[in-house]
Amino acid sequence: MRRTVGVAAASAVVVFAAGCGGGGPQSGGDQKLTGDKIVLGVLNDQSGAYSELSGRNSVTAVEMAVADFKAKYGDRAVTKNITVETADHQNKPDIANTKAAEMYDRKGVDLILDVPTSSAALKVADVAKEKKKLYFNIGAATTDLTGKSCNKYTFHYAYDTYMLANGTGTVTTEQVGKNWYILYPNYAFGQDMEKSFSAAITAAGGKVVGKDGAPFPNTSGDFSTFLLKAPTLNPKPDVLGTMQAGAELVNVVKQYNEFKLRDKGVGLAVGLMFITDIHSLTPAALAGTTYTDAWYWNFDEQNRAFADRFQSETGTRPSFAHAANYSAALQYLEAVQAAGTDDADTIVKGLEGKEVNDVFLRNGKIRAEDHRVIHDAYLAQVKPQSEVTEPWDYVKVLETIPAAEAFAAPSPDCTL
Amino acid sequence: MTSTVDTPADATRPAPPSGLLTVARAPGWVRYALLAAGLIAALWLPNGLYPAVAVDILCWALFAVAVDLLLGFTGLMSFGHAAFWGASAYVTGLVAIHAGLPFPAAVLAGALAAAVLAVPIGYLAVKRTGIYFAMVTLAFAQMVYYVANEWRSVTRGENGLQGVPRSLFGLDLSDDYYFYYAMLPIVLLGLAAAWRIVHSPFGRVLVGIRDNPARARALGYPVHRYKLTAFVLSGFIAGLGGGLFAVGHRFVSLDVLHWTTSGKAVVVVVLGGIGTLWGGVLGAALVVRLEDWLSFSNFEAIGLVTGGIFVLVVLLFRRGIWGSAEALARRWWTSRKR
Amino acid sequence: MTGFLQNTFNGLVSGAFYALLALGLAVIFGMLRVVNFAHGAFYMLGAFGAYVLLTEAGVPFWAALVIVPVGLGLLGMALERAFIHRLTRLDPLYNFLLTFGLTLILQDLVKLRYGVQSSPYATPSALGGSVNLGLFDFPTYRVFILGFAVLVCVAVWWLLSHTRLGMVVRAATERPELTRAFGINVGRWVTPVFGFGIGLAGLAGVLAAPMRAVNPLMGADLIIVVFAVVVIGGLGSIFGSVAAGFGIGLVQAWGEAYLSDFPIVSQTVVFVVMAVVLLWRPAGLFGREEAPA
Repeated sequence: MRRTVGVAAASAVVVFAAGCGGGGPQSGGDQKLTGDKIVLGVLNDQSGAYSELSGRNSVTAVEMAVADFKAKYGDRAVTKNITVETADHQNKPDIANTKAAEMYDRKGVDLILDVPTSSAALKVADVAKEKKKLYFNIGAATTDLTGKSCNKYTFHYAYDTYMLANGTGTVTTEQVGKNWYILYPNYAFGQDMEKSFSAAITAAGGKVVGKDGAPFPNTSGDFSTFLLKAPTLNPKPDVLGTMQAGAELVNVVKQYNEFKLRDKGVGLAVGLMFITDIHSLTPAALAGTTYTDAWYWNFDEQNRAFADRFQSETGTRPSFAHAANYSAALQYLEAVQAAGTDDADTIVKGLEGKEVNDVFLRNGKIRAEDHRVIHDAYLAQVKPQSEVTEPWDYVKVLETIPAAEAFAAPSPDCTL
Repeated sequence: MTSTVDTPADATRPAPPSGLLTVARAPGWVRYALLAAGLIAALWLPNGLYPAVAVDILCWALFAVAVDLLLGFTGLMSFGHAAFWGASAYVTGLVAIHAGLPFPAAVLAGALAAAVLAVPIGYLAVKRTGIYFAMVTLAFAQMVYYVANEWRSVTRGENGLQGVPRSLFGLDLSDDYYFYYAMLPIVLLGLAAAWRIVHSPFGRVLVGIRDNPARARALGYPVHRYKLTAFVLSGFIAGLGGGLFAVGHRFVSLDVLHWTTSGKAVVVVVLGGIGTLWGGVLGAALVVRLEDWLSFSNFEAIGLVTGGIFVLVVLLFRRGIWGSAEALARRWWTSRKR
Repeated sequence: MTGFLQNTFNGLVSGAFYALLALGLAVIFGMLRVVNFAHGAFYMLGAFGAYVLLTEAGVPFWAALVIVPVGLGLLGMALERAFIHRLTRLDPLYNFLLTFGLTLILQDLVKLRYGVQSSPYATPSALGGSVNLGLFDFPTYRVFILGFAVLVCVAVWWLLSHTRLGMVVRAATERPELTRAFGINVGRWVTPVFGFGIGLAGLAGVLAAPMRAVNPLMGADLIIVVFAVVVIGGLGSIFGSVAAGFGIGLVQAWGEAYLSDFPIVSQTVVFVVMAVVLLWRPAGLFGREEAPA
């Protein structure tokens, strides 16, 4: 806590000093910036299903990155004129399409950030390619962004289906149980997850004794058919792996508890879970559940300092998507600073192969082959209620998955 | 079958002249002036608005006119027109990707597919009227949505059908500004077709059926067949819009089939004015522009705004914008004559 | 065999929600000729009502089971007087549109206040265990839901068949013109009946809170299925909507269990059944052609 205050005070002093010293000539190299400014665009869901785990608070995270950048470089900054534009794509790819083009064309946006929902994310990648402008995706999970739909201007930042499935599948098989029953929503995301999970489980010496694709969207909200089936399988599964996300995950977990599967010896592993999901289900409902997290706010001092600052700005703890937005914005600004220009091709060249470390990226590297940004991931387990001592501190990290293992090798489908 | 439900128009439109008749009665110079103004506005649009938004407006205008053809002129409220808009979007996208045809041909193929889909759905749906019709179309559209969702090998499911080309004899249409002018003739043709349908003998029978189905039946008109024909034509025009939407965005996602898309089309028509045909065009311009503005506005409750406006229109301005303006103009005209 | 019974039981539990929602829709439609698009939104408000009472006032599930439906019923009556009443003399489509607009507003209001993430609601502890039903154990809460829903449906049926109010409502539902022709004042019952129907949706919402995700959109897709359910049962038919509700719940559960390789079946079965019913009996299984809708 004290440390955060210190940082904040220091940055305030720096900014203040910079302000007082104003009037002098601007630092050089400005001519190389289009419009003599940098504009960051956050395009995400600010009213729908993803609005809490990213949404408006991602904008705040990006603004924090801008403030930190200005504080760090002061008068040496390539420009002080950095603004953040934002738009709500409402999870609709057609709106994302129009907004992305409009951001690049009319709002002078140099970099689009976030964009959850796979269909919207893939569409915006197309737009970025056509307009030859940068795009860092954070919110979407599809590996297509670094696979057959990859392109020179698109970077995939925080996570993907492989990262989620591989970590949880491997470590849970090693540490919790060998036999799995996999329940996945029957659409692209769920099917990808199921494949990656099955592969990871088998590789770790486990076995998938049963798997079912549940209807998606599941209008009845009922998963009891599958949950009843799980303990009757032979051999009996040790772990139920559920790939459902958001509200469907909530339904599965509520009904998992209703049918008392944990008491019947079937543990729970979750494909994709955000801290906000744990908050809405309560840790009691999820105690012992394992999942892969891209970042956890209370993992170490550095994360915690960021989380405290984030909380003072937004009133809540950051999800990994918030931290990733912060990091992505910061790394972009650093790249512009280093290159002295916001020309997209130059920046891409500067970023490719770069090794980075910041609050979000640990042992991070921006792969040149497919623009996947790799970094350490974490296998997390939800604490029992009795060990939860402060709000939002719901999990403990069982294992750090090294960056090189956390993500898949570059896909042969990708040619930049 | 002569309950209040079967004659939806009587109570809602107190004055006998419907939108249709009013337009016909307006003096010639007014009609030509309006037509000219509309054409000028259509030609100017992408210069005043972001071109991609202008493209959306044209697509939605076709969609709204298609829904109004049923709602305003046949008395059938389809709450499932996303099925035709979306089916055409997918077929257009697939044809454009795999056959490499120029985009107008792909859109035509999509609209034809939508019309074919409208036959069985319409056949079942026109057995019912009024609110039942709305619910039945809604349910069928939802079924189409689920089929598209499951049929991933073709529709690409959640990821959407990416990379729909905009080819037209080697012209570079990648800029929305130029694409707008390339698609404008198709939209104008679609609108003209709708106008022609409404003003044909066929259209007059439809209005007759709307106002008094029992009488139409007594006069020997095969009511169901007329309704079904109207339904299929409407599906075709909605399909034109949906196909252009697919080419305009260069991709298709499941959203085009979701029931909220059907709902939005009805909202557009009601806002513009039921039974006015051109009201739908105006409604499309307003709704698309409003949504565009809201998503940059830092306002989180888009549904609150659209829902609120919609409730107000339903409660207070049931004639919609065009209908209200028309009523005002008529009052002014008649008072001047006296 | 055990598996089949379990799946059947679960189908009935899902069906119980459809039945309660369809029953409310049918009662409202019968009296007002209004198809209430906002029914799903009131279901959502019911679940949120339980959540808010618990977290902000410590009111337990049992009390919420009474307070929420009554409160929502009153809200429904207020909305009927304020909005729906103004449009009842017009084409019913206008009220359909009005309630569609209300749905958007209600969803967004809840979203603004409570966010889109699902809100937590635990199963009441007395119902947390499981009961032995001879061949298999079953969660007590599900048994409770099924029993309670059947009880409510029977109570509504009794109310309609054994009280004067019931007779008026039934008469107005099934033979509207005739009822008015007999000089029965249907009008004074309109508002309470609307409130009653909304109360039923709220009740379903409270029951759903412990086992379903409580979020602003929880009723949005559900309402479409319930529409198909009432079309199958026959919009004007109270018995039909309940029977179709349970029936569809069963068919969906069996489809999910035995055709799990074809998830499309359980998703679309309700619409296919609807198409068949429309071809064969356009007024619905238990509907009457004299009360067209």
